[in-house]
Amino acid sequence: MKKTMISFSANNDLEHGRQVFRPAQAAAIDNDAVDMKVLNAFEELQPDDGSDLIVELIDLYLLAAAQRVTQIREASIATEWVLLTRVAHNLRGSSANLGVRKVAEICQKLEWMDRHDSPQTVAVQVGLLEYESARAGAALAAVRQGRLV
Amino acid sequence: MRVLIAEDDPVSRRILETLLRRWGYEVTSTIDGKAAWDLLQEPDAPSLAILDIMMPGIDGLELCRRVRRSQTSMPPYIILLTANQGVREIVKGIEAGADDYLTKPYDREELRVRVQVGARIVELQMKLSERVQQLEVALDHVKQLQGILPICSYCKKIRNDLNYWQHVESYVSDHSQAEFSHGICPTCYETKVKPQLESLQISQSAAAPNS
Repeated sequence: MKKTMISFSANNDLEHGRQVFRPAQAAAIDNDAVDMKVLNAFEELQPDDGSDLIVELIDLYLLAAAQRVTQIREASIATEWVLLTRVAHNLRGSSANLGVRKVAEICQKLEWMDRHDSPQTVAVQVGLLEYESARAGAALAAVRQGRLV
Repeated sequence: MRVLIAEDDPVSRRILETLLRRWGYEVTSTIDGKAAWDLLQEPDAPSLAILDIMMPGIDGLELCRRVRRSQTSMPPYIILLTANQGVREIVKGIEAGADDYLTKPYDREELRVRVQVGARIVELQMKLSERVQQLEVALDHVKQLQGILPICSYCKKIRNDLNYWQHVESYVSDHSQAEFSHGICPTCYETKVKPQLESLQISQSAAAPNS
């Protein structure tokens, strides 16, 4: 598994006219689970009120993703393909937005699956989704923690 | 300008809100199609809407159809967000009544310029609508003469809508912006006025005492 040491303590501590709190130490981020370039691109959209948009987006994502993975698991057991497709579509969108690539890729495969696919094939993809989602969750939690220090 | 976002995914919704506010738009967000439809029916509804296709309840396509069926005087400019890049999906969206579409994940600059195009078209529509209203008001003040007018062959009076015979000049004054200044044309001077003047002179000289 590829790991990258990403330092959040950039040269500038003053950004958009406000003090930015960066972790003093570098955080080890699972670069394969989360594309940090995508996530860091939100830096330029930081609001002026001192709140951290990236932390907010991570919180929203972690909450929604956990619910959706559960929904996908339940829909696959109940063979409710319409629901499964809709939830997978939704999770793909928010994952792609935050650079959670692997989860987005698996969601796309799930979206394309239908009743003709065997339950085992679907179960394998759902299992992979749970694994990658947990990995991405841990990576995002590390990013979040690093920004709050 | 007020922009409506209808997006059930909280992450996508928050990103859209942040971007649009940064670009100077007033943003109203809804989490499903039903809430968006309710908002779009209000008198001061947002003039630009960014709708996700796949939403619970009323989806983006159905929302487009409802908006176009409602035939309001100022329909919103609709940008559809679709996760599928297929041509069929895009055609379905445009046919349903969307003005534009963007595929997810979208490029921020592309979103910015497309929203800008939408805002420009909305402003043009607003100006056009204002101008039409002004013209309608102006038209109410313009009186026109039209149709067949019954006119007396002898005295040239015109029969008005109330069945009264009216002098032609007063009728025309009542039914147009025209006003009359009275004068005498050369023909009438020769045939009517001159003989009257001559007759007057004769009668005056006849009445005068011999000097």
